[in-house]
Amino acid sequence: MVRVGIIGLGTMGRQHAEAYRQMDDVQISAVFDHHPERAEAFAQEFGTTMARNIDEFLQGCEIVDICTPTYRHAEHALAAIEAGKAVVCEKPLARTLQECERIVDAVRQHNTLFMPAHVLRFFPEYRTAHQMVKAGALGTIAAVRMRRGGDFPLTKSDWYAAFEKSGGIIMDLIIHDLDWVRWTLGEVERVYARSLTFRNLPHLDYTLVTMRLRSGAIAHIEGTWCDPGGFRVSFEICGDAGMVEYDSAQMVALRVARRAEGDQTGGVEVPESPAVQNPYYLELRHFIDCYRTGNQPEISVEDGFEAVRLTLAAIESARTGKVVRL
Amino acid sequence: MKVKVGIMSFAHLHADSYAHCLLSNPRAEFVGIADHDLQRARQKAGQYGVQAFDSYESLLASDVQAVIICSENVRHAPLAQMAAAAGKHILCEKPLMTRLEDGQAMLAAARAAGVQLFTAFPCRFSPAFQQLRAMVQAGEIGDLLALRGTNRGVNPGGWFNDPELAGGGAMMDHTVHVADLMRLLTGQEITEVYAETNNLMYHGNFDDTAMLTLTFERGIFATLDSSWSRPRTFPTWGDVTLAVYGTRGVIEMDMFAQYLRHYDDRVGRIRQVFWGDNIDALMIDEFLRAVAGESAPTLATGDDGYRAAAVAIAGYESVRRGEPVPVAYNRER
Repeated sequence: MVRVGIIGLGTMGRQHAEAYRQMDDVQISAVFDHHPERAEAFAQEFGTTMARNIDEFLQGCEIVDICTPTYRHAEHALAAIEAGKAVVCEKPLARTLQECERIVDAVRQHNTLFMPAHVLRFFPEYRTAHQMVKAGALGTIAAVRMRRGGDFPLTKSDWYAAFEKSGGIIMDLIIHDLDWVRWTLGEVERVYARSLTFRNLPHLDYTLVTMRLRSGAIAHIEGTWCDPGGFRVSFEICGDAGMVEYDSAQMVALRVARRAEGDQTGGVEVPESPAVQNPYYLELRHFIDCYRTGNQPEISVEDGFEAVRLTLAAIESARTGKVVRL
Repeated sequence: MKVKVGIMSFAHLHADSYAHCLLSNPRAEFVGIADHDLQRARQKAGQYGVQAFDSYESLLASDVQAVIICSENVRHAPLAQMAAAAGKHILCEKPLMTRLEDGQAMLAAARAAGVQLFTAFPCRFSPAFQQLRAMVQAGEIGDLLALRGTNRGVNPGGWFNDPELAGGGAMMDHTVHVADLMRLLTGQEITEVYAETNNLMYHGNFDDTAMLTLTFERGIFATLDSSWSRPRTFPTWGDVTLAVYGTRGVIEMDMFAQYLRHYDDRVGRIRQVFWGDNIDALMIDEFLRAVAGESAPTLATGDDGYRAAAVAIAGYESVRRGEPVPVAYNRER
C-alpha cells in the first residue's frame, strides 16, 4: 500500500481524497488542516488519522499531496521535500516566482519525485484537443481562444479575494489555460492583459489575456469571476487545416434539473459529464504509478514554474498596461 | 415619391444584398449600376433589371438622389468625393476608409456639398443588439466593466486578400462592425488599441488572424477577434458576438444564432439556415427615409464609420510598433 497524506482539506483536498479512495493500492494515511474540526470530520469520513502538527503529518505518509491555499504551497512543499517525501502540489506551484525557484531548487537537490497538479491536462476534452494539435490534425495553428469561469469563488476564509494570497483570477483560474497553451503550442514570446483585479471591486474579477507564441500563433484567454450564469469553459483552436471547438454549456451529456423542495417554480440545473474515471483520479493515478515505477511525471516542476511565470507576466501587463516580453 | 438610388461598384459582396433590399423596398427606385468593371455592371444590371451606366460620372449625372458605394475599400474615398460633389447622399460600405486622411476628405466633401454620408453598419439594426443596448441602458447589469467581441469569418478571398485594394487583411475587414457596436453601447470612444496579427491561416502577404485589445475613455476594456479564422467547412459565413460584463451581471449576444442546422446530404456539408430578421433591409429602409428627409436614429454616420475605421488603422500601427497605441481620431482635423 502506498501511504498518502493530504494537507489542506477544502474543496480540492476532498476531490483528491475521493480519487484515492478508489485506488486499491493507496491508503490515505494522514491528513492535516489548520482547522482541527474540519480535519477531524474529514479523517473520520475517510477512515484515517488527523495529524496534530506538520511533523506528525509528514511522519505518517510517503507521498504528500498539497491542497492548501496558494500562499502556503511553498512552506508545505519545502517541508515535504526536505522530509524526503514524494510530492504532488496543487496549482499554482507557489504564489511568487522566488518561492517557485526555491521549490525547483529543492526538488533538484533532493531528487524529489514532484508533480504540480495541472489537472486540466487530464481532462479528456483538453487532452483530446492537445493530442489533435500535436498530431497535426488542425495543421499550423493560427489562433486559440479559451474561456473559463463563473461566479466568484467564496470560501470560509475568503482567501480568493485576497490578491496577495491567491494571485487573483489570473494566477488562480486561468493558469489552467496558460499551462495548456504552453503544453500544446510551446513557449510564449509576449503577453498583453487587461483585468479588473486591481479595481477593488468586491467579489468581481475578470480578465482578457492575449499571448503571442514563439510559433507565431495568438492565444486569447478569458477568465471570469463575475458571471452569475454558472461555471463554464470553452475553447476553440484554429489551424490552417481546420478548427475544433468545445463549449461545456452546449455539449452536455447529462442535464439534470431539480425542482427545489417546496418550490413550484424554480430549480437548479446542473450539467454533468459522466466518465468512468474523473480527471482528478487520472491525474493522481498517474502520479502514484510514477511513484511505483520510478518514471518521471508528465508534468515537471519546471512546467509548474513556467506556468506561474506566465501568470505573473499577465498580472504585470494588466497592472502596467504594457506588453510583457518573456 | 420613391427615392432613386444607384449602386457604385459591385466589388463588395454585400452589394447583392443591398440590391435585393432596394428591389423589395416600396420606398426605393433602384435606378442602376455603375462599376469600373463594365462587364460586371452590365451583368448585374441585367440580373436586377436595372440600367447599366457606362461610367460613375454618367450614373452621378442621372437623377438618382443617393448612391450606395460597394467598391474595394481603397476606392471608397474617391467615389464618395465624386458622389458628394454631384450632390448625392451616400451610404458607404465599411470600412469607411483605410487611411485617416481619406476619411477626413470624405467627411469634408460631404459637409461641403451638404449631403448626408452614412456608413453601412447593419449590425446596429439587429434586434438582439437593440435589446442588449436597451437592457444595458436600463442598468440591468449595473455599471459596465468589460466587453468581449468577435467578428470572425471565412476568408472572403479575391481583392480582400490584396492589401493594395483592401488596405489590410482581416483586421481591416472585420474590426469595424464590433468596434462600432461597442462605441454605440458604451457611449464612449476607444482611446487605445493593442493588436496582434499573423498570417498562419493562409500564409499570404495579408493578416488573416487578428486580436485587438481596446481601452475606452472611462476605463472599460475589451478584446475583439477580427480574424478570418473560420475554416472552409464552417457551416456559415462567420459570426458577430458581444459579451457585456457589468457589476450586476452578464449579457452575451451571438447575433446570428437564429438558425436551423441543416445536414445537407445533397452538398455533403452542414449549413446554418438563418431565419432572423434581415438587418441589411432594416438599414437600407432607414437610409431611404434619411434621404427622404426623415430622421435616421440608428444609421451610422460618416463620423461613426470614420471612428470605427480609425480603430482598425490604430491596430496596424500597434502591430508595427509592438505596443499599445492611442487612436488618432483628430490628428489632422
